[in-house]
Amino acid sequence: MESTPNRRGRLAGLAAWGAVASLALGACAGGDTDVTASPPPGNDEPVTLTVWHYYSADGQAVLDDLAAPFTDRHPNVELEFVFIPVEQLTTRVVTAASAGTGPDVLLFGASGLYDMASSGAILPMDDWWSGYADQDQFSDGVIHRIDGDIYAVAAYVNLIGLWYNEDMLSDWGVDLPTTIPELEAVMDRAVAEGINGITLTGVPGVESQWQGFPWFTSHGFSYGDPQATAMEDTFTMLQDWVAKGYLSAEASTWDQHTSFQHFLAGSAPFSVNGNWQVGAASEVEFANSVAPLPLSANGGVLLGGELQNIGAFSEHPDLAREFVEMTFFSAEGQLLLLENFGTIPARGDAAASPLIGDNPILSGFVAIVQQQGRPSPSPEVPSASVNEVENLVGNYWSRAIARDGDPRGLAADLIAQLLPLLED
Amino acid sequence: MYPRKRREPVAFAIRVVLYALYGVPLLWIVLTSLKSSRDIFTSQATVFFTPTLEAYSTALADPALASSMRQSAIIAVGTTSLVLFCAVPAAYALARAKTRLVVGGLAVLVLLQMIPQTASLIPLYWLLNSTRLLDTNVGLILADSTLFLPWAILLMRPFFARIPISIEEASLLDGARTLRAFFAVALPLARNGVLVVTSVILLVSWGEFLYGVTFMLSPRNYPMSALIAQQSGLYGINWPGMMAFGVIAVIPVFILYIASYRLLRNGLTLGAVK
Amino acid sequence: MSGPSREKHAPPSLGARGQAHPVGSPLTGESLLGASRPLRRRQPQYTYRGDRRLALVIPAAALILALSIFPIIQLANMSLHDVTLATLTHDWDFVGLRKYQELFAHPDFWKILGNTLAFVVVVTALGLVGGFAAAVAVSPQKRGASFLLGLMVFLWAMPPVVVASIWKFLLSGDGLVNTILLNIGFSERVGFLFDKDLALWSVALVNAWAVIPFNALIFRAAILGIDPNLIEAAEMDGAGAWQRIRYVFIASVRPSTMVLTVLTVVYAFRSFDYIYIMTAGGPGTASTTLPYFAYVEALVNRDIAGGAATAILALLIVVIFAYVYVRDLRRGEPED
Repeated sequence: MESTPNRRGRLAGLAAWGAVASLALGACAGGDTDVTASPPPGNDEPVTLTVWHYYSADGQAVLDDLAAPFTDRHPNVELEFVFIPVEQLTTRVVTAASAGTGPDVLLFGASGLYDMASSGAILPMDDWWSGYADQDQFSDGVIHRIDGDIYAVAAYVNLIGLWYNEDMLSDWGVDLPTTIPELEAVMDRAVAEGINGITLTGVPGVESQWQGFPWFTSHGFSYGDPQATAMEDTFTMLQDWVAKGYLSAEASTWDQHTSFQHFLAGSAPFSVNGNWQVGAASEVEFANSVAPLPLSANGGVLLGGELQNIGAFSEHPDLAREFVEMTFFSAEGQLLLLENFGTIPARGDAAASPLIGDNPILSGFVAIVQQQGRPSPSPEVPSASVNEVENLVGNYWSRAIARDGDPRGLAADLIAQLLPLLED
Repeated sequence: MYPRKRREPVAFAIRVVLYALYGVPLLWIVLTSLKSSRDIFTSQATVFFTPTLEAYSTALADPALASSMRQSAIIAVGTTSLVLFCAVPAAYALARAKTRLVVGGLAVLVLLQMIPQTASLIPLYWLLNSTRLLDTNVGLILADSTLFLPWAILLMRPFFARIPISIEEASLLDGARTLRAFFAVALPLARNGVLVVTSVILLVSWGEFLYGVTFMLSPRNYPMSALIAQQSGLYGINWPGMMAFGVIAVIPVFILYIASYRLLRNGLTLGAVK
Repeated sequence: MSGPSREKHAPPSLGARGQAHPVGSPLTGESLLGASRPLRRRQPQYTYRGDRRLALVIPAAALILALSIFPIIQLANMSLHDVTLATLTHDWDFVGLRKYQELFAHPDFWKILGNTLAFVVVVTALGLVGGFAAAVAVSPQKRGASFLLGLMVFLWAMPPVVVASIWKFLLSGDGLVNTILLNIGFSERVGFLFDKDLALWSVALVNAWAVIPFNALIFRAAILGIDPNLIEAAEMDGAGAWQRIRYVFIASVRPSTMVLTVLTVVYAFRSFDYIYIMTAGGPGTASTTLPYFAYVEALVNRDIAGGAATAILALLIVVIFAYVYVRDLRRGEPED
């Protein structure tokens, strides 16, 4: 077999994320951005650019708006946004690559990065990036590398925090919890009121790794030094929550969307959920906001977001790059995505926008980036194993919530399966 | 058509149970499609909420609706025609031919059923790509037909097999040729089976999803089912939209089913020989 | 197939039918199926014709050869190589039966196999019994009855994602079913989809529910094909409703039953979309069956070879059912 790049060459770290956050908090005023520096190529042959994505039907309209500056500049280019269900995107891209075809532009999740790079569906973009005028607006944390080569850049950041129902907390006269015992005290109050304490995600799969990461790192776990005791403590906590009614065992079937719907329906004062819910949260009648998860100093939240690169088989790579620069990489584009989806812009200038500063929830999330942000995927996990590790850990998180085994046994099984995947 | 109408308490009880088992989920689909997104979980177990036609008006205003309906119709009609063209004679031959090949053939058909659709995706993609049939209706019709053909043959075969040989033999003795025996005698007698399988293939090929979104590369070629899938995406699931699209998607093909239902007749031998 | 030629054949056909259905003794059931035995002596000529009929298989065989065989060969081939999504475009390493060994060594393999068999048994048994019961219940051609069948078919035609999502709502902790149960005296909510002892059964029941309309359609078409004289004769013989169902209906739908059994087994053996939406195979692997596992291997873990090996294994298991089917159908049909 060919030698595969095994160790992630990612340089990302907290320091890099701090840079995004400090920019975002207004420490640095963003200059006006100018992506239309070069004149359009004098070519008006009709061209079709295809963009593969997994935005829902509502999101499709936003993509059209996002593309408007580009299509104004290139009236000869027809953009074709192709929706592919999220669970099929990576397979579809690699299958196409195996037949020597593919889209011009790709929007995808980080868990597909390795497979796409390894199959040749995307190529290193170092040359592009080093020649890109606005590259210093992007912190290193959003640049995704394999073996030192840049394979994708994320235009925005997604993360989770502790959403809370302000009305409930003030009715009960309790303060915002900053430690897990304080959180449990409030959840106890919620159960006394006849509701659950918290909603979170436990559906088997990568989403649950993402939801579980803050809690098991808070208990001392890290992928660099995977200890069963930290996992056991986490699972013990979860099962204790389920036993006391703080958390419904049904959370083991909830995705993040369902979990948040239950929070919005008033079934709990807290929800572990993401910045992209800001739109949905503004539609309900009760006051809500977001705070950092009450973690220990070891605890962190993963910073995700969709990645962009052009397809290796694009017949118009220059146009494709220009499209990405004028949409996802531009300040205007990132602000448009922010307005519609609540995604935190990766560019320093866009993140400094008053759209964030004036919105307590979004600036709350930016504060979390600064305090608790960790790169995703975790740099200690070999690139080739990222997808499998995230699924495995997510599945055990789900099992713990469903009480499908005792904490000690679950933790031991998980670590036994995890160790070989974490080896080089 | 039955000689006498009589009270059937058992059948009546079964019908009541079936109405509950199938009526309630349909009611819930319709109710959910009439909710606003916000009400999905607050009113989960109740019929009391403020109904809205928003999901339907959004769905019907979707510019992709007309094109995807047309695509689904082309795919469904093309697939059904091709499947019938291949399956009807094959089912007849496998019901009548007297050779050990029949047993082998049937076993192969059962095994073909067992190949998971997901496992065929990559090889079929290669095949269609190398024949330049990706992103074409012909390619998708071929793929869908392959998917449903074994099923159709297996389902139709018993309807041919049960025709008493004596009927056909009579026509054969009369000098009719194989094809004529097939068209003039066997086909009319197996009509109910062929009709039901036709309506079933029409329904499933209309709703087929996985091949549709994999072998079609341009969204303008996507079938209806892709539109339903797109109600669930990156930042959430539009439950009312999904349910509304589900209802809208089934209605046209359901009308065809009703039409075929009326054609079903009682009595194996009645229609053919009178 | 013009009208006149049919007319011409009518008299001999009618005569033959008289022999084929000795109306006087329909209640043995066997007489219907073995009806043509007296005519077998004329078979030499018939066999010759029969062979020629095999030519009618050509279109189907061509389509299958062109498009089905290659995927099967590839599936088997992939299961013997180390193919993941990341290595799909590279040369594949031959690993022999290692993927199968890994499958058998998987800590949950036997549990998953047990889940699969339980799932298949429930879906098949309920799917067939329910489908037949529904077909008999709607066979009196009343308007209400055909409306019921229409309702069932409407739901059957719905995309699985819609129907499975609705069942997920109905069976959730605060869904309709639990609300009803609480109102009739249950003390706590039932975790249909997240209790590890219930999840598999819940999904199996919904899958059976999903296949019943289809089975009912096929059974109904078979029942409609029964010669009304048979039913009349049975009634004149004083047969009660149960006896009629047993000797007339069941006997005459037997060939369809055999094929429906096989198809329902196969359906249950490859069904994963309801599991995917309702429980995602969980909690843990409590509701994971072989096809869902194959799906997870190939599309979630992106281990294409692992998924292929799982699919091939499921296929080998179904060979047994296929064998029973082809052996069984050689009895019990008129031609044999």
